[in-house]
Amino acid sequence: MSQQAVSPTPRPWLTGMREAIPLLGGYVPVAISFGLVAIQAGFTAQEAVLISALVYAGASQFLFVGMAAAGSPLWLVVVMTLLINVRHVVYAPNLAPWLTASRGWPWLMHALTDQVFALAHTRLPQLPETQRLGWFTGAALFAWASWIAGTALGALAGEELMARWPLLGEIMPFALPALFLVLVVPRFTSRRWSLALSLTVLSALTLTVTGFTNLAIPLAAACGALCFQAVKCRPAAKGTRHE
Amino acid sequence: MSSAMWIAVIVSAVGTLLMRLLPMLWMRRRLARLDHDEGIDAMPQWLGILGPLMIAAVLGTSLVPKAPDGISWLATGIGVLATLGVWWRTRTLGWPVAAGVAAFGAVVVLASWVI
Repeated sequence: MSQQAVSPTPRPWLTGMREAIPLLGGYVPVAISFGLVAIQAGFTAQEAVLISALVYAGASQFLFVGMAAAGSPLWLVVVMTLLINVRHVVYAPNLAPWLTASRGWPWLMHALTDQVFALAHTRLPQLPETQRLGWFTGAALFAWASWIAGTALGALAGEELMARWPLLGEIMPFALPALFLVLVVPRFTSRRWSLALSLTVLSALTLTVTGFTNLAIPLAAACGALCFQAVKCRPAAKGTRHE
Repeated sequence: MSSAMWIAVIVSAVGTLLMRLLPMLWMRRRLARLDHDEGIDAMPQWLGILGPLMIAAVLGTSLVPKAPDGISWLATGIGVLATLGVWWRTRTLGWPVAAGVAAFGAVVVLASWVI
């Protein structure tokens, strides 16, 4: 899974699937948990699977079934679900310069989660134009399918799985931070970017530890953006450039 | 599931899809209006900055262990170091992730035997 530009391969969708494998370490245990939580909240296995297939947004799905089970007004459930997902509005425009003219792209945006965006933002610019649609289709649909399959597994056998392999659910999710780390590290290209990225990571970590999990991503990114601008606004010392 | 609940699921699903889809259509039109050769330069500057920062923010949130006790934090630290070490040597995506998970898992398993 090289990060360098690759020569054309006959099956870019297969490359996409292979490169999305690390996502599964995070997706499957969380999806199993969601299936289990949904069953405990009174949904059937089919309903849990349909929610995962249609909404396909981890944190907001947990909120949805939790609030619905607690008897919250459904309009509030919907508003809160959408508010948590509002961060997704900045993902697709960031990928747009590398999207080809195919009519398939709008449909594939359903699968544009945090993790798929992070992977695609790094890989699409490195791929030849002819391979981008195939690569994204493979990666995004594979991740989506794993989320749906994990939900089904959790709904049908979640309790038994958690009891039999408790450590697996604790260890495999580390694949996600490890993957994000590998995606972020190459972007430490200047003092300006290093400061902004470090502040963003630390802010998100602190906000999550203090219980503001749902606000952590947009707030931390905003902190990082302010830092990025502040470093730019400082008078250039000794004629150095930060980019 | 009641009809009202189904409607809530469908509205949430359509709303989430639109939040992912509409900005892409907007950006495509913007790029089409501007010179094709400009490519990435045609993106608003704030969007180009926000993309990498959003990934960094997702990294920050995902670093917090599910059970944030001392062992989990230690395992996270060692997993991060292992990931960075292998990335430094290989500059690939897959091997550093595998090494990070293995190091994280080794600390968790060892701790479960010792404690």
